[in-house]
Amino acid sequence: MIGQGGPNSGRTLLFVPGRSVLHRINPLTKLVGLLWLAATTFMLPPAGMAAVALAAIIFGVLAGAGATFVKRLILTLLPLTIALFVVHGVLIDRGDMVDHGLISVSPEGLKYMFGIVVRVAALLTVSLLFVTTTHPAILLKALDSHGISPGIAYLIASPLLLLEPFSVRARAIRDAQQARGLDLNGRWVARAKAFPALLIPLVTLALSDLDQRASVLDGRAFRARPFRTVLDAPLDRPWETWARRLLLVAIPVQIGVVLWL
Amino acid sequence: MALIDIKNLTFGYGAKGPAVLKGLNLSIESGERLAILGGNGSGKTTLAHWIAGWLPRPAMEASQGEVLARGKAWPEWNALDRAATVQFVGQIPMQQLSGFAFTVYDEIVFGPGNLGLSADEIRTRADWAIDICNLRHLVYRDPFTLSGGEQQRLSIAAALVMNPKALVLDEPTGNFDPESRDNLLEQIKGLPRDLTIILFDMALKPALAVAERFVLLDDGGIVADGLPEEVIQHPAAIDMFGLPAVTEAALLIRESGKFPGKARLPLTFDQAVRLFGGVPAC
Repeated sequence: MIGQGGPNSGRTLLFVPGRSVLHRINPLTKLVGLLWLAATTFMLPPAGMAAVALAAIIFGVLAGAGATFVKRLILTLLPLTIALFVVHGVLIDRGDMVDHGLISVSPEGLKYMFGIVVRVAALLTVSLLFVTTTHPAILLKALDSHGISPGIAYLIASPLLLLEPFSVRARAIRDAQQARGLDLNGRWVARAKAFPALLIPLVTLALSDLDQRASVLDGRAFRARPFRTVLDAPLDRPWETWARRLLLVAIPVQIGVVLWL
Repeated sequence: MALIDIKNLTFGYGAKGPAVLKGLNLSIESGERLAILGGNGSGKTTLAHWIAGWLPRPAMEASQGEVLARGKAWPEWNALDRAATVQFVGQIPMQQLSGFAFTVYDEIVFGPGNLGLSADEIRTRADWAIDICNLRHLVYRDPFTLSGGEQQRLSIAAALVMNPKALVLDEPTGNFDPESRDNLLEQIKGLPRDLTIILFDMALKPALAVAERFVLLDDGGIVADGLPEEVIQHPAAIDMFGLPAVTEAALLIRESGKFPGKARLPLTFDQAVRLFGGVPAC
């Protein structure tokens, strides 16, 4: 079927192609599920949040995205954990410091640190589960087919859609500046000094591109009508519609309960 | 009524900017194949934007004179009707992409989707444009990973699928190697005959391949307007394109039997040698 070729895209996305149950669920159902889980993490104790994170990792592995999960989790959680350990476990004295020879650690601080880390881990893993099993093109079609305004759909999808041209432009600027003698391989001071020479043209050109892209979109009658015709919209089963409604009701109720109690 | 009617248009960027277009008058009929030729800074791209209605409304309103499309000024057109009247393809292919599609096919159907057409109508139009622009083998590819030539063909397909009355092409082959340029020009030449084509270029060869009417633009004004064989004889043509390019154009026109009639004057050194049976003694 022509028009569903998103998974063949060569862009630098987190999406991992597959045929798992999660891949086949309508993107809007997954998006609402993600929002509900995010709201739920604020209700759960640390052990519950750890269970959510663990479940998300297991689902991610079953969906074939295990490698992406491990890489992103290590890259994100390791520096955060170290920083929180130093601040809450070692530096902030809560009056319960236990001496371990080289360093003194606060058990209360560690407990606090664990709570933050598992909450971030839960939010991160469910977000990863969404982006690794949902191609932005399919998300865009799902939004369009549910009557979401084209402008809002574009706002959601454009950061992902424009990732590749932005990367290409950034590489071209880097190469051009290096050819003019900009030192990008020296010490960190030299690199820091070189940073504006890379950033300023990138931002300037991105702004100029915005103008051009606005004209292109205008020329193709973008937003001329409140809705777009969608070809090959993702399947939306009746149970998914009901699940979304249920979750959308549950989210404010849960937030209310947390604020009330 | 002319498809595009430009009346005494004077325009500059910004309130105090110098005039880029100076008192310009031009009329373009439906179905015409027109080349507007000029050097760097002659005002080609600005004029192309005017003809395509691409300039922001305040800029249009700050100008003198008017550009009418089917008798109505661009600011009076709504986006749907404008998109169905004129489509624009610019110089840099990557900048012509909507940024809204992950595949070539999705890029092509993006415009018709905005028009609110039925899915069947969109598919029919897309298939037609894909075949005309020879993109069938690329439909699943990411538009941003295509070559410049392929992206330009995609831009043209995305414009054609809107079923416009006129296509404005601003130096569409500017960055191409000769082979890719000739291939694209062949495809442009093969576009439906009732489609008005307005080609902006600084070279004579693409214009000769596509257009039946030439307009020379210099310093924001029109210096010559007429048949190719007439316009290339204008003194400004040699200043603009150089003697070798004008000679080559004259040769191509003569091969098609139009210029310079039945005259046997040589146009190249090789022809002179053949005509006079050797190199004349000095």
